[in-house]
Amino acid sequence: MNTLRGIAIVTGLFLLGTLLHRAGVPIPGGVLGLLLFYGALTAGLVKLQWVEGAANLLLRHMVLLFVPLTVGLMEMGQVLSRQAFALTASLVVSFLAVLLTTGLLGRWLLPFAQEAEAEPCAEQDRAEAGR
Amino acid sequence: MSLMSWLRSPAFSVFLTVGAYAVALALHRRWRWIPPIVAACLPIIALLLLMREPYAEYDRGGNLLTWWLGPATVALAVPIYRNGQRLRRSLPRLLGIVFAGAVVGMTTAGLTAWLLGAPTSVVMSVVPKSVTTPIAIEVCRELGGIPQITIAMVILAGVLGATFGPMVLRLAGVRDDRAIGVAVGSSSHGIGTASLVRRSEMQAAVSSWAMATSGVITSLLAALLALFLR
Repeated sequence: MNTLRGIAIVTGLFLLGTLLHRAGVPIPGGVLGLLLFYGALTAGLVKLQWVEGAANLLLRHMVLLFVPLTVGLMEMGQVLSRQAFALTASLVVSFLAVLLTTGLLGRWLLPFAQEAEAEPCAEQDRAEAGR
Repeated sequence: MSLMSWLRSPAFSVFLTVGAYAVALALHRRWRWIPPIVAACLPIIALLLLMREPYAEYDRGGNLLTWWLGPATVALAVPIYRNGQRLRRSLPRLLGIVFAGAVVGMTTAGLTAWLLGAPTSVVMSVVPKSVTTPIAIEVCRELGGIPQITIAMVILAGVLGATFGPMVLRLAGVRDDRAIGVAVGSSSHGIGTASLVRRSEMQAAVSSWAMATSGVITSLLAALLALFLR
């Protein structure tokens, strides 16, 4: 029952995002839906326990959802072989650049916010488990 | 009437895909090194080639599954919200780091491909390669890229991060759990995040927050880029 309610909320927000996108907002419909959803959760309009089941189902089995597009690679052989070097180089360079930029920034910036973490985090877990 | 034209129905594609995915998951559970996405796709591709079925025919049903990537994007609000609550104190810094990662990821991926002579459609396909698949697909479409190429790049970025991410970070002297999480989530989205789950709960929480947030930021930056290109 909860999962169904969650699916209704999620698809409804996706619809809303898609309509806003069609009305001219230059952000993809799914991302607009995400932002609306986040707003609704933060404002307390939607309770986490209404949507957790549906969200976990969609996120846990996301791989299933991109199988059909990945199968489409079977028709991409030509582009892939012609661009193999550019694609591989772009993949490796960009992967390392992102990993090291974020990792080193984190190593530099995050220790300052350290001490605040441990306590509230454990309390939060207990509060969530109690619900 | 041949067996094949008789089987032509969106239901057949959906059945084939869900079945192949279920088998792939079972194989992955037994042999951890088999990636479910590869194990699910290879038999489908083999079958389509064997039956001389065009991809477009398969995708009439495949589409029905692809559509759910939209609601899956919306659902990413849950990890942002849930993990954001427990990271409250370091959130502004984490947001800055994820933003920097998104800018670096888009520019280095696009520029490298462009410098190596890739055509515009391929360059646009690699720009969103660091973010989670559903958002990467939407961004790719907005920019006029080829979704299949984006998917392949996204999956490979995920596999790279899951396999080498923590090792590279250790060599770079990164030991803070949150720093490891934000780096793996920003560079290799869900696949990287899943690999952290068994290492540390804090790493996985930050990573899952970072993957969703980085997707949002990347799509906002891409919207700006698209306006600029037009």
